[in-house]
Amino acid sequence: MTPLVAPDPLPPVAAAPAGARRRPGRARTFVGQVLARNDGRIGLLILIAFAVLAAFPDLFVGRLETATTATGRSLQPPGGGYLFGTDELGRDVLNMTVHGARISMAIGLMATMITVVFGALLGIIAGYVGGRTDTVIMRISDFFLVLPTIVLAIILAPVILDIVGADAELFGIRATMIVIVVVIGLTSWATTARIIRSQVLSIKMRMFVDRARVIGSGPGRIMRRHVLPNVINLIVAQAVLTFAIAVFTETTLAFIGLGDPFAPSWGQILNAAQSAGAPGLGAWWYIAPPAVCVVLVVLAFTLVGNALDDVLNPKSGARR
Amino acid sequence: MTVDPRDPVGSAAAEIRGRRQWPLPKLADPKAPLLVVDDLTVRFRMPAGSVKAVDGVSFRLDDGEALGIAGESGCGKTTTALSLVRLLPANGRIKSGKVELFGIDLVPKTESQLARYRWREISIVFQGAMNALNPVQRIGDQVGEPIEIRLGQSRESARKRAGELLELVGIPRKRADAYPHELSGGMRQRAIIAMALACDPAIVIGDEPTTALDVMVQAQILQLLEQLRHDLGLSLMLITHDLSVIAETCDRVMVMYAGRVAEEGPVSRVFTAPRHPYTRKLLSSFPNIHADRRTLDVIAGALPDPRNPPPGCRFAPRCSFAMDVCREVVPPEVRFADGVRVACHLFPTADTAPLVQASGPSVPLSIGRPADGAHEAAPGMPAPVTGDRAP
Amino acid sequence: MSARYLGRKVVQAFVTVCAILVLNFLMFRMMPGSPDRVIKNPNLTEETRAALRARWGLDQPLVPDQLVAYVKATVTGDLGYSIFYRGQPVTDVLAASVGPTVLLVGLAEVFAIIGGLAIGAYAGWRRGGKVDSIGTGASLVLYSMPYFVIGMPLIIVFAAGLGWFPTSGMTTPGMSDKPIVAQAWDLGSHLVLPLVAVTLGLLGSYSILMRSSIIDTRSEDYITTARAKGLRDGRILRHHAFPNALLPMVTLIAINLGYVIAGAITAEIVFSWPGLGTLTIHALSARDYPVLQGIFLLVAVSVVIANLIADIVYGYLDPRVRA
Repeated sequence: MTPLVAPDPLPPVAAAPAGARRRPGRARTFVGQVLARNDGRIGLLILIAFAVLAAFPDLFVGRLETATTATGRSLQPPGGGYLFGTDELGRDVLNMTVHGARISMAIGLMATMITVVFGALLGIIAGYVGGRTDTVIMRISDFFLVLPTIVLAIILAPVILDIVGADAELFGIRATMIVIVVVIGLTSWATTARIIRSQVLSIKMRMFVDRARVIGSGPGRIMRRHVLPNVINLIVAQAVLTFAIAVFTETTLAFIGLGDPFAPSWGQILNAAQSAGAPGLGAWWYIAPPAVCVVLVVLAFTLVGNALDDVLNPKSGARR
Repeated sequence: MTVDPRDPVGSAAAEIRGRRQWPLPKLADPKAPLLVVDDLTVRFRMPAGSVKAVDGVSFRLDDGEALGIAGESGCGKTTTALSLVRLLPANGRIKSGKVELFGIDLVPKTESQLARYRWREISIVFQGAMNALNPVQRIGDQVGEPIEIRLGQSRESARKRAGELLELVGIPRKRADAYPHELSGGMRQRAIIAMALACDPAIVIGDEPTTALDVMVQAQILQLLEQLRHDLGLSLMLITHDLSVIAETCDRVMVMYAGRVAEEGPVSRVFTAPRHPYTRKLLSSFPNIHADRRTLDVIAGALPDPRNPPPGCRFAPRCSFAMDVCREVVPPEVRFADGVRVACHLFPTADTAPLVQASGPSVPLSIGRPADGAHEAAPGMPAPVTGDRAP
Repeated sequence: MSARYLGRKVVQAFVTVCAILVLNFLMFRMMPGSPDRVIKNPNLTEETRAALRARWGLDQPLVPDQLVAYVKATVTGDLGYSIFYRGQPVTDVLAASVGPTVLLVGLAEVFAIIGGLAIGAYAGWRRGGKVDSIGTGASLVLYSMPYFVIGMPLIIVFAAGLGWFPTSGMTTPGMSDKPIVAQAWDLGSHLVLPLVAVTLGLLGSYSILMRSSIIDTRSEDYITTARAKGLRDGRILRHHAFPNALLPMVTLIAINLGYVIAGAITAEIVFSWPGLGTLTIHALSARDYPVLQGIFLLVAVSVVIANLIADIVYGYLDPRVRA
């Protein structure tokens, strides 16, 4: 999925008095401004609904059905106790979809964290330190922007799984999941780094950094105490947009067959539907629930992300 | 009525109108003055409420005349000029008032009706340092565009005319194929002037046309404008915060403060004998190249918050002569016999003696090159003359 | 365009391709079934191991000898041999699959660029208008849909349901002896649904990006100049806003190509379109690493070339670079 934000934007909020943003009052108006917008409100509403589903799937549909606990007939259309019908193994599609929310969103969350932590860190360092460090980081990000990382992932994922074994675990997370998370991180850190960097460049110009430097703060302290608080809102907006891309990418990779069959995300369900020939059989009930969920979640994150971005970065939209 | 009720069209004006290449607009009254702006109010919708950027501004511009509009940035001078042809940002609206060009009120016109008057009657010389030229179009095409589109000329004759115009402003004809970035700042400004002349307009508005140019180029551009004004009989509105530019090129000057007219009149009078305390401050805060003045006055304070302006005179919070009445009552405009009008409580009527003559600051006698006869005026306050009292 | 600009871009592209080759070389060494891993097989005797080492050149230093040998082979079109396609050269396997993908992605790009830029430009110009609310709303939904999610309902409705189009493949078997017009018709009817899926997926992001580019352009001073000139709205959009808003799009479209191909792979899977996507799936299930690696190399180099072309087009469109 294409990042919606151009990788090298103009210095985004050079005109806005960013120094004032740290005040809690401002933070409240910031959230308020996002909520005042229709897209922000609708997006947030959808997200809250899915967050609840992801947090307590058992509450709504009971435990995740497996081939052995399935009770329905194969590819049963909706009705007769199965709101969304059944899959080829007789599992309840509604049950799988609700549980899929947890897996898809967990992967999205982890991937977003990796992306944003690395992207923001590298962006702040590149922008603040400048010079050769900046050049090196930017060249590497150039390379990652051009590199078709998803295609790379298609090769790397099975290789890594062959080497470590698909059932290997790290911190209790299965290797397949980790591979997908890392791959998404690799795909999208560069955009984040560039956006944060250009913001840091404009912050660097501002006086208070000079002031901090004069009173003897080291670069690490300045970055933490002065630069970071001023880009944190941008990082949040970027994280929300990255979340959309992460869910999207996870769905794509799982659909291609790189997902974990034991942790059915929405992409994994769609992959199973495709393998079972659901589209050709007209089994729309098998496809529609996970597909609609993916679209809703990606759309919601995009809406909220854009709203945040617009509030932070009001393009001179008032002018005709 | 606060606008000078002079004789509508004199012989000079008739002569200038006779030189027009294109006929007057259909609805034009040939006897009417060129431009009369009456009680113009412009509002901006802001997230925090509505702001009156221009509040009851009136003035008049005659054929062949040059009017300078001066004031600090943010005082509404550009908004005033751009609202004549309604080039306001999307959140700006003309709230009330009249803009009469040849007696035709432009304010009630629809957007498409107004298009007839844009550029053909009122064109604008934008600041060249800004991105006023399209970076991906050739200079010649940009100059020729209004000729082809607005005047309906063929592409060839538009190109030919564009070449002539470029030569007129001192750009070799063959540079018509250049792109904006290939020209120097001064050349770009000349190209913008050529573009403004494309349709032989009645009024050219210069919006800070020399800002951001170096001094030598600035002088050249001003000379060019001056020469074009005389050769083509243009009427010029020059918006600038640079008072010496106005002193050199304009007949009359209008000093604005926080969206209102503070003082308006002939340059020779206003610059030598300013009445409004703001004008005086403005003049004394400006370096005088003739006198050896090492000390410049700084106007203490800042422009009032436009969302919440002071109820009386807007300059009162910064004015060293402010009285109680200044903080409560909006000062009326008073016209003097020497053609100057002032909105200040120090001059409640045109026959009031100035209240602060003794304590008034000394006033620089010349800015740039003052017009002849300027020195005849006594320093301090001119003798008040009987005149109209504004309502 | 200045030779310096062009030269710099070519060098950049060259360096990127080199980096990709090195990356591919390293991956090649990690792959299961690669010589390095075969040699570690405990069942081999020390002699066999040494013999294999010498035969495969593993006794040479990794850099530069082995790397040079790898690059030399790659550049001459030797990408190794496929496992799944019984020892066919990878180059041949790829060559057979490239055509359908190029046809699909190429046509989709053309339609999506024309449609997306037009909708985005108009929506951004009339921000808040009808086209903006409907067009941008629809674009956002399309943007949120993976290509295969667009493709699946297309099959359900137009192929499985209404039967207007075939559900899968690129040709109907046994068409090769039919007249050329019938063959073209057959190909066309197979192409429609995958093409619509990929085009719609692309259209959403192009129209959103173009919209924001136009909105940025709209506040430029030269747009105010154009309005002051009394030009009609449509002319300002076509002659002043659009050409300037197009510039950033050129770069964005090229950078997106990698995502587009990845997306097209999923669409091909849904429609069993016999291109790189279907090849990827087969190679993936057979763990045919040489083929997978070949696909990556091909896609990566294509994207680099697309970016180079975009830089050249950009230089042509923007006189500031051209000079």
